[in-house]
Amino acid sequence: MDRQVECITRDGGFTLTFFAMASPCEVLIDTLDKRLAMLIGQKVAAEAWRIEDKYSRYQTTSVCGQLNTNAGTRCPIDEETYLLLQFAEQCYQLSDGLFDITSGVLRRAWHFDCSDNIPTEQQIAKWLPLVGWQRVSFDRHGFTMAKNMEIDFGGIGKEYAVDKAMDIVQSIIKQQTEAVMPVLINFGGDLAVNGPRNSDQAWQVGVEHPSLTEQSVMMVSIRYGAIATSGDANRYLLKNGVRYSHVLDVKTGWPVKNPPKSITVAAPKCIQAGLLATLALLRGSQASEYLSEQEIKHWVID
Amino acid sequence: MQLSKRRDVKALLTTATCALLGGAQASATESSSEQWQFDTAVLFYSESERVSAVEAIVAGQKSFANDQRLNVKLTIDSLTGASANGAVAQPNAQTFTRPSGNGQYHIKADKTPLDDTFKDTRVQLTGQWTQPLFNDYTWSVGGNLSKEYDYLSLSVNSNLARDFNKKNTTVSAGFSYAFDQIEPEGGLAKPFTTMAVDSFGTPEFDDAFAQIRDGSTEDKNTLDLLFGLTQVINRNTIVQLNYSYSDVSGYLTDPFKVISVVDQHGMSQRAIYENRPDTRTKHAFFGQVKTHFNNTILDASYRFMTDDWQIDSHTLDMRYRISLNNGHFVEPHVRYYTQSAAEFYQPFIQDDAMALDYLSADYRIGEMDAFTVGIKYGLPMSSGDSLSFRLEYYRQTPKNNGTEAIGALKDVELYEPVDAIIAQVSYSF
Amino acid sequence: MKNKNLLFTATCFALLLSGCSSLGVEPWERDILAKKEMALTASPIDAALDDHIYFSKEASSGGKSFGGGGCGCN
Repeated sequence: MDRQVECITRDGGFTLTFFAMASPCEVLIDTLDKRLAMLIGQKVAAEAWRIEDKYSRYQTTSVCGQLNTNAGTRCPIDEETYLLLQFAEQCYQLSDGLFDITSGVLRRAWHFDCSDNIPTEQQIAKWLPLVGWQRVSFDRHGFTMAKNMEIDFGGIGKEYAVDKAMDIVQSIIKQQTEAVMPVLINFGGDLAVNGPRNSDQAWQVGVEHPSLTEQSVMMVSIRYGAIATSGDANRYLLKNGVRYSHVLDVKTGWPVKNPPKSITVAAPKCIQAGLLATLALLRGSQASEYLSEQEIKHWVID
Repeated sequence: MQLSKRRDVKALLTTATCALLGGAQASATESSSEQWQFDTAVLFYSESERVSAVEAIVAGQKSFANDQRLNVKLTIDSLTGASANGAVAQPNAQTFTRPSGNGQYHIKADKTPLDDTFKDTRVQLTGQWTQPLFNDYTWSVGGNLSKEYDYLSLSVNSNLARDFNKKNTTVSAGFSYAFDQIEPEGGLAKPFTTMAVDSFGTPEFDDAFAQIRDGSTEDKNTLDLLFGLTQVINRNTIVQLNYSYSDVSGYLTDPFKVISVVDQHGMSQRAIYENRPDTRTKHAFFGQVKTHFNNTILDASYRFMTDDWQIDSHTLDMRYRISLNNGHFVEPHVRYYTQSAAEFYQPFIQDDAMALDYLSADYRIGEMDAFTVGIKYGLPMSSGDSLSFRLEYYRQTPKNNGTEAIGALKDVELYEPVDAIIAQVSYSF
Repeated sequence: MKNKNLLFTATCFALLLSGCSSLGVEPWERDILAKKEMALTASPIDAALDDHIYFSKEASSGGKSFGGGGCGCN
């Protein structure tokens, strides 16, 4: 995919689009200053591609690829990677082990291609021992995990990129103009805004919930903070009328029972929203209740 | 147990996010919408040789979902010093009795008589609730309570605004109703009676003082109506036009003010208590233009007020905010004010004057010019707070409204200017 | 004289109202007007303090808002 930023002029500002992290990305900037809009678009895209290159598990040259390739030995890590691992560690702790960035290997057993191809217990049992954050050790300078284990930042990478990009946008605005400049960053449905639009208007965002039978778009309005969506979209299996979600319980290796098709969560930061959405899905049919109990604003599609 | 543990998730996640993205930024997004925001200020007001005051304000604002907003404000001020009692200066020394009857004060020759007993502390609490009502409507309701030793004021207000033309035009209408009560120490003086001065400290004085007292409390009611039009002109300019109507009824006299009765040589014979009409109707027209230039903002306003006491006033006010580096700014301010005298204003009256219904020598309703020059300097603080300083000089120049000074009064200052310094420090967080 | 003043002002209001529809900006052109310092009362605290001072020192008050008042100021 070409790494290019397109600039579209629309009423009230500009929409910059590009492709990163396997998703269409856009930046909406309400300003009349095209030069500044282009600059912001370029910087946001550059940050998205930087994070993609650094943490994609598909690129063997990425930090993530290197850590996986060299599993079994201690690998040096930089500060940013340390902070991300630290964050993953805290998410593991506060989810009682449900959120585990070493669970990616289970995808070797589960292929969520909408077929009826359910793996056998033996197939799952083969991979399950390779899952377990408790068998990872790291400090500020190095990271070690057991041989054949894998880590995957897929569950937090896109949301992290949204937050990092928004920080960059805010510092550019601060440097370049005195004016209020409303910006929305949307990386494939995970998004953040820097405040309400002009006249104190909320942003209206369409959250897509593609499924086999319907293409529905739910409108969500947001003034501050971020929203992220987690759901099984086109990633599930269907056998004998039972729908197997792509959300796996890392303790059993089997899908969580009856999670909502999709859940959208609002939080101050995109990475928080994303994680809360994931944690809610892991609660299966209790997803919405779990978020309501904590007074977290969310939208559910069952 | 389960519930409290789940609640922890949110807090733990916030901590983890702060560590990952940096603390200040991670919490900044929500603060602007959900948290209380406070403006605080301390102001010193000091007139040379007269009143000085300290006033402190804490104002809080909280926004809620659906654009609702709550504003609360606490004001405490303390006033001490001397205030003109209305009498004229004389070539000889003069003695006056304090309004409470509990003492006397002596004024040197050629000095404007000032009553130095003013000492008061005021506490004021205001609250205002603002919310959208239907599409394009904003509704606001509020109340105010102010209490000082001898004065109580209560008011309620409400305002409805409607946006037109893509929110470029806003039309509003509002009212305020206030009830005020005064209860001065020592009671209220009967209008036109002569201040008891002689034989102070004797039973004769006490009798004379009691004779001229008339009750202990008086009220007044104020109804204000305010109609406004706000118009966005272009990307840089916004204009506001207001008409306001005010109807005050009740006790409008100042019980602390007197007027000198002089003979044909201009020599004071006695001081009599003033009397004002018990109604006053005011109309005010106000216009404001605010324009943003490259690095500066010009804020100019004009007000014309006219009332049935025959007072007309014009007020011109200009502020020019200049942005400096790093978010600092400097804002010069000038204000010019001029008013004509109330029809019953007289700096003094002659012995043989005809009986009048109303009379006051309070320079504040006499002919007067005033101007203010000031400067404000503001700077942002590291945590998003802001700090500002303001220093202003205010000068009032009372003027002769056409009364010819007679005899000794030609040699004294009947219209003494008042100079004041205003200094203020504000902090917002 | 008074009535003329009133009439003149009323005419200004009417003219302005009718001219309003051609004035103004699109919602996305509000970036400058949205700045805090461009609010009509950019510093409510200063305004409240000034209202109080001038209410107690001059014969006029208000006009912009329900300003001043609430004290037996001398």
